[in-house]
Amino acid sequence: MPKIENVAPTNFSRRSQLYRRHVAAGAAFTKASASAVVAAYSGEHNEVHCAAMLGLADLSSLPRIGFKGSDTTHWLEKRIPRLPSRPNLSKSQDDGGTVARLSATEYLVLGNLTDAPSLPAALQDVSIDSSTQRVYPLPRSDSHAWFALTGTYAPSVLAKLCGVDMRARKFANGNIAQSSLAHINAIILRRDLGTTTCFYILSDTSFAEYLWDAMLDAMAEFDGIPVGILALRALENGISE
Amino acid sequence: MKLLNCPLNGPRNIAEFSYGGELHTMPNPTMCDSREWAEYVFFDRNEAGVVTEWWMHNASAYWFLAERNTITDEVVRTFPASEMFTERVDSINADKA
Amino acid sequence: MSNQFRLPEPYGLLLDRKRKVAFTFDGNEYTGYHGDTIASALAANGQMILSRSFKYHRPRAALTYAGQDSNSLVQLPSNPNALADREPIIPSLQITAQNYSGSLENDRDAWIGRIAKFLPVGFYYRAFFKPKGAWEIWSRFIRKKAGLGIIDKAHKPEYFDKQYLFYDVVVVGAGPAGLSAAISAADVGADVLIIDENAILGGSLNYARIDANGTRTGELRRALTSAVEKHQKIDIMVDTICNGWFADNWLPLINGNRLYKTRAGQVLLCTGVMEQPAIFRNNDLPGVLLGSAAQRILHLYGVKPGSNAVILAGNNDGYGVALDLLDAGVNVELIVDLRMAPEFDEIATTVVDHGIRILQGHAIYAAIASKGNRHIRAVDVRPIISDGVCSDKSEIIRCDMLCMSVGFVPAYQLACQAGGRLDYDDEKSVFTLTNLPLDCQVAGSVAGLWDIDDVIDNGKFLGKLAGSADQVLIAAKSTTDKKISSTNYSWPIFPHPKGKEFVDFDEDLQIADIVNAVHDGYEHIQLVKRYSTCGMGPSQGRHSALATARLVAKETNKSVAETGVTTSRPPFAAEKLAHVAGRAFYPARRSNMHHRHIEAGAQMLHAGTWYRPAYYGSQDLKTTAIRREVENVRNNVGIVDVSTLGGLDIRGPDAGEFLNRIYTFGFLKQPIGHSRYALMTNETGAIIDDGVACRLDEHHYYVTTTTGSADSVFHNMLKWNAQWNLDVDISNVTSALCGVNISGPNARTVLRLLCTDVDLDRESFPYMGIRVGTVAEIPARIIRVGFVGELGYEIHVPQHCGEALWDAAISAGSALGIAPFGIEAQRILRLEKGHIIIGQDTDAMSNPMEVQMDWAISKAKPFYVGGRTIVELKEAKATRHLVGFVVRDPEAPLPLECQLVVDNSEVLGRVTSCEYSPTLEKTVGLAYVPPGIASPGKQFTIKGTGGVEIAADVVMLPFYDPENLRQEL
Repeated sequence: MPKIENVAPTNFSRRSQLYRRHVAAGAAFTKASASAVVAAYSGEHNEVHCAAMLGLADLSSLPRIGFKGSDTTHWLEKRIPRLPSRPNLSKSQDDGGTVARLSATEYLVLGNLTDAPSLPAALQDVSIDSSTQRVYPLPRSDSHAWFALTGTYAPSVLAKLCGVDMRARKFANGNIAQSSLAHINAIILRRDLGTTTCFYILSDTSFAEYLWDAMLDAMAEFDGIPVGILALRALENGISE
Repeated sequence: MKLLNCPLNGPRNIAEFSYGGELHTMPNPTMCDSREWAEYVFFDRNEAGVVTEWWMHNASAYWFLAERNTITDEVVRTFPASEMFTERVDSINADKA
Repeated sequence: MSNQFRLPEPYGLLLDRKRKVAFTFDGNEYTGYHGDTIASALAANGQMILSRSFKYHRPRAALTYAGQDSNSLVQLPSNPNALADREPIIPSLQITAQNYSGSLENDRDAWIGRIAKFLPVGFYYRAFFKPKGAWEIWSRFIRKKAGLGIIDKAHKPEYFDKQYLFYDVVVVGAGPAGLSAAISAADVGADVLIIDENAILGGSLNYARIDANGTRTGELRRALTSAVEKHQKIDIMVDTICNGWFADNWLPLINGNRLYKTRAGQVLLCTGVMEQPAIFRNNDLPGVLLGSAAQRILHLYGVKPGSNAVILAGNNDGYGVALDLLDAGVNVELIVDLRMAPEFDEIATTVVDHGIRILQGHAIYAAIASKGNRHIRAVDVRPIISDGVCSDKSEIIRCDMLCMSVGFVPAYQLACQAGGRLDYDDEKSVFTLTNLPLDCQVAGSVAGLWDIDDVIDNGKFLGKLAGSADQVLIAAKSTTDKKISSTNYSWPIFPHPKGKEFVDFDEDLQIADIVNAVHDGYEHIQLVKRYSTCGMGPSQGRHSALATARLVAKETNKSVAETGVTTSRPPFAAEKLAHVAGRAFYPARRSNMHHRHIEAGAQMLHAGTWYRPAYYGSQDLKTTAIRREVENVRNNVGIVDVSTLGGLDIRGPDAGEFLNRIYTFGFLKQPIGHSRYALMTNETGAIIDDGVACRLDEHHYYVTTTTGSADSVFHNMLKWNAQWNLDVDISNVTSALCGVNISGPNARTVLRLLCTDVDLDRESFPYMGIRVGTVAEIPARIIRVGFVGELGYEIHVPQHCGEALWDAAISAGSALGIAPFGIEAQRILRLEKGHIIIGQDTDAMSNPMEVQMDWAISKAKPFYVGGRTIVELKEAKATRHLVGFVVRDPEAPLPLECQLVVDNSEVLGRVTSCEYSPTLEKTVGLAYVPPGIASPGKQFTIKGTGGVEIAADVVMLPFYDPENLRQEL
């Protein structure tokens, strides 16, 4: 694994709701967009291997933004080459990020897993003339916590928490379900990392601690554990060790 | 558990939805008499047969309309509210002058 | 000697004879094999009696060996009423029998059976409910005798869970029809799940006999099960019960500690049939069992159920049982065939060839018991004269077991829950299930098919249709005739002058009980059930419904078809509450500052789904802590977490027009940088929410809502605009923002240390102003509002920066003595200021006039939600007003919320809020009172705790700072 520069979550004004849990689990953090994200946890586990089987990562510190309004599709078409063609579909982007379409007029733009510049930051800075364009930005970085559930057993865990069929052959890569997860509303989108099944889960930030605990509980029977972003990057780059 | 077909999200367990009551057409609030207004506010038709109802998919906060047979509990059809409400309501007082 | 009744292999399909399992039953040690149930392992050791019956304490043994009757209920250490013929034995399991006093073999309560004639049906209803109150006394004694099993209160919780499953086709029942159906459904490409409540696939193929030499079932079983097990598209769940059918093919499947919530595109119910007992005197004795029960215990568990058998046959299946017993070395003494001139099949003919004695047109008039009713000793056989009537010519035949093969009822429960209609042809004694939905069909013997080749063909045919989801063909097929045949003898019911002919074994109900229920006036089958309790026991009428229907039909001169059976509701089998509950989910919301509150010693409470700090400090110093927090706000500066407030961004050219329609005030002319109180009513004119609407720019308002109402307000707005189509966007940003309110005369001093890019001077940033800037270098919306009635700034920042904001504010204010305050202090502060809390000081009827908020209603605008109703309400006579009051006597107990305002015995109103005000040094509150006593100077009485009358004086609101000088500092 590459050497990482360890940072403390409290070095930043932006802090994941879960940073205390990560610290207690022995996490080392790395900087991501003016915040700290878990690089890896201490322990005997090979996190890449674990993430390929069943892992849960907190990506809440990474950038993301939403847009909605009747002119949004047209407005985004000029800025994003690969826009999902219908609601509840997402597409990976060149920068490694993901654009999810939630309705005819609403989109969610997720950043990539690196600290490199990404679409959400670029789009954040575009000014929109509200008198001529019906495009309304949504503060998804703060309204929603962002988790990644990875690995072979991820669909089995979701089957315990969500009433939508997310088995691999029924819920293809790029599919989105806006549904109830562990009794709270969530956006669940399948976004495989390399050949590893991965689901991004976005739910109300204030439920982050509840959902994190509920998911780890559901994962226990499959020996799932929290993993850091380095393991996710490795999976995305096809390193399966 | 019953399934309901959301026009945006497809068929989902009915637990994912909230019921929004029967569809009522508001009489002109400044023109109608008190009885007409009271019936609009307080009375449901509660018909035995096909009724049109508001439903919302909770996770996407998406309102739509459903035609449901209250005798068989069969949902005949669901459709976006925009199919019924096509025009901007400019002035609520002017719609029934 | 142990396992002395065990037969050699290949008997005992379910047994792993290499693994011995030792356990105890009522203190005695036994050994069985892995794969044994409690009942089979005990039977192998000669222990047949498992329980004492519910009412008469008669010894009972397993009737079905299929887990379908309550005779086999036993107590496990942490589980009462376990089915001994379903529960597997595990090493060192300690089992005890239930419902006896003394011992299972010698129950001191068995005398109750001898007074049965004095305990007629409805006895409890009639005997113990008069005079009034008698039941309260009697029930103490009766309850001791009633009820089964003991709850282990020290039981440690186990982990129960739920899981969703999805399949194109779910096949319930893995007998010949189910297995065939699963294969053909999967062959056409469907994802198939096949479930069975038993430990292995095969259903009746595991124990039944369908040919003379007894080899065909085994061949079919091996062929079908291996094809299913090998099929890639078929998943198998055994030891799994489908406990109901719910709308749109939603099946609760229970396996172990998990409930599988299964959605099926198509359901095929291949649930088979349940054999029925004959009704004659002493038909409940140990040693009397169903023919299929004898076959199960032979073939599944390798246990020889007796040595000298009599068989009561109403069909040819009884002859198959005879062959099975003969093969196992059991002497078959006699076959009593109820039929006058039976049509023998190949199997029956073989029995005749064996030279077994057969009496046709005869019945078992009574079984004869050994001492204490512990086992069958002989049968009293008599010729049948007419339906249910025997001649006096009696022959006593000695035996130690009696197998009953007189007919079957389809396992119709799930099919009926799916909307199926169960019909009965009185002429042919045939059941049919019709009217099923196209996506839920029945196949095999449950559908009335009996010939094995018909059953398999039917399974294959329907499986293929279900697999291709071909509803057109399914609809077409339901109109074609099936080869329905009957194995039911029409009247296997023989009343005896001395009774004890049990119709319902669970509840010890005899023929006379059912007949008398009808004679008592309960003629409808549903009423008979409720009056007699027939079918209400653990086996839910599985073996009593048909006999009850026949008896009621006869007594009311109707057909069985007209009489029908009682409604079959889920659950099919007993299920644990833990299965229904599953894992505990308690979704709770926390603000980004949550852990700072905990670190500061806050006592947290639940406000809706949120955690909020109630106050800071230990519980024993609660009052002092709250008072200190109040005083610090009034005299210095405090900080409170307001992240739980709802927040909505309303954007677009029509934003002002939209707010105008949604709230009671006017917002079109609201200046940018100003905020305005916003009151929301529904169409009945009742107040449903309040907040402030802040205009950030021409097309952008930021609106707050009360804690807990953010979602409902948001959804309400979306619903209205789905109809209006205004050019506006409505976004819920509640969780995107985290906020604090810094309040008190020193609030500005603290904020100056944190915020340099906003002019905080009183003139440039007045009360009700809103500014956008940075606080502690965090982008923030700053609103000058004062719920607590002091100079105050509400600062809203991105959620993830909440903790950093909190830290910065505490740090900046530390020199001045800033202190956090909780919602307890906030409630006192706002009450002193006369501010109402929606939902506490209002109810579902409260209109703005009642709560003195006429000022919040715009009179200029043409429309808002609730406006027309409010016009009507204004013209109507007011019935109550919310007023401020002061408790006159400082020593009086504190009136509590919802205590009544009274005039002697007349209720005038109620208290909605009441607190001791540290600032005013008196007790103040809000209450609804009639208009006559609503003006300042009037007085009223509150009925306090324990009936104490508390005098209160109506005063002008607010209690504190009526000139509003403090908040405008």
